[in-house]
Amino acid sequence: MSEWVATLRNGLMLENPLMRLMIGLCATLAVSTQVESSLFLGLAVIFVLFASNLIISSFRNVIPDQVRIPIFIVVIASFVTVVDLTMKAYVPAVYAVLGIWIPLIVVNCVILGRAEAFAYRNRVGLSIADALGMGLGFLIVIVGLAFFRELLGTGSLVWMGEPVVSLPESYPAPAILVLFPGGFLVFGFLMAGFNALDLRREKRKEAGR
Amino acid sequence: MSTGVYFALLFVGAALVNNILLTRFIGLCPFFGVSNNFQTSVGMSLAVAFVMTMATAATWFFWNFVLVPLGVGEFLYIPAFILVIASLVQFVEMFLRKYVPGLYRSMGIYLPLITTNCAVLATATEAVNPGFFKINLPYAFGFGEAIVYTLGVSAGFALALLTFSALRERLELAPVPRSFKGNPIAFITAGLLSLGYIGMAGWFGL
Repeated sequence: MSEWVATLRNGLMLENPLMRLMIGLCATLAVSTQVESSLFLGLAVIFVLFASNLIISSFRNVIPDQVRIPIFIVVIASFVTVVDLTMKAYVPAVYAVLGIWIPLIVVNCVILGRAEAFAYRNRVGLSIADALGMGLGFLIVIVGLAFFRELLGTGSLVWMGEPVVSLPESYPAPAILVLFPGGFLVFGFLMAGFNALDLRREKRKEAGR
Repeated sequence: MSTGVYFALLFVGAALVNNILLTRFIGLCPFFGVSNNFQTSVGMSLAVAFVMTMATAATWFFWNFVLVPLGVGEFLYIPAFILVIASLVQFVEMFLRKYVPGLYRSMGIYLPLITTNCAVLATATEAVNPGFFKINLPYAFGFGEAIVYTLGVSAGFALALLTFSALRERLELAPVPRSFKGNPIAFITAGLLSLGYIGMAGWFGL
C-alpha cells in the first residue's frame, strides 16, 4: 500500500510531468488560456492515461518487445477517439475551444512516455497509481497556469459563460498574458518559483545538518 | 489572385504568420529538448521537414482514397493517421540505413522520435481538414496545396528552432538569477521571441 501511495506522490511532486520531466508542454501552453477548457483537457488526459496504463500493464506479458510502440499507440488512439467523440457530443462549446488538442492527446508525450516507462514494466495496481499521480500532476499545473493567465490577463475568471471572480475595474488587464507569449512567460516564472522553493528547501536541509 | 501568388501566400502564412512553434505551440518538445545545441537543431529541422512532407503526402492519399470513400474518416482518422505516420517513419529509417547511410547517421535518433512529434500529426490532420485550425479555408486542400502548406510549416519550424537554439547558446554564458537558470529563462526567452512573431499576425489577411 505504501508503495502505491509513493508512486502516486511521485507523479504529483517529484516527477511532475510538466514541471520536472518537461513533457506534454504543447497542449499545456496552448490550452491554458481558460480555466474551464484546461480542466476539461486535464480530465481527458487523466482518462486516457488511466485507461491506456490499465490495458497496457494488463497485457504487458503478451506484447512482443519489437512492436510495442505501435501497439501502445493504437491503444492510446482508441481511447483518444472515445474522448474526441464524447466531448464533441456532450460539451460542444468546450470542444470548439480545444479543437485540435483533443486528437493531439495521442502524441502527448506524457501518455506514451508513461506507457513505455512505467505501465510496460509494472503490475496493474501500481500502473493505476502512476496514471492517477501523473494525470493529477498534469491537471494541477495546467489549471494553475490557466488560473494566473486568465485572472491576470483578462481580469476575471469565467465558468460556463458566467464570470466567477473579477478583479476591480481599475486593473488594466495586460492581454499579452492570454496571447501566445504569455504562455511561455507565465510558465517560465512558475517554474522559477518552483526552483526557488527547492533551493530554499535544500539550504534549510544543509543548515539543519 | 493568380495561382503563384496564392501558393506564395500559403507558404508565408504557414511559415511566419502562423508559425507552428511560436504562435501555435505545436511541437514544443523538440523545441526545448534539442535546442541546447545548434548542430542537433539543424539535424532535427531537416528530419522534421523530410518526415512531415512525406507524412502529409501519405496521409492525404490515405484520407482521400481510403477513409473518405469508406465513410469512416470522422472516427478513424486518429488511429489511421498515426499508424500511417509510424510505419512511414519506420520505412524511411530502414531505407536510409540501407541506401543513404550518411544521411541516416546525421539524422540519428531524431527519426524515430519524430513519430510522436505532434507537429507531424497536426500538419497531416490540418492538410486534410483545414477547418480544425484558425486559418479560414472553407474546403479541403488539394494535393499541391497540402504539400506547399507542409513545406511552409517545416520552414517555419526550422526558422524558429534555429534562432532559439542560437539564442540559448549565448544564454549559457549570461549571468542569470539562480532560480531562473536553465529551463525557466529558456521559456522567458521563447516568450520574447514569440512576441516578435505576434507582430506578424494579420499580415495579408492570413
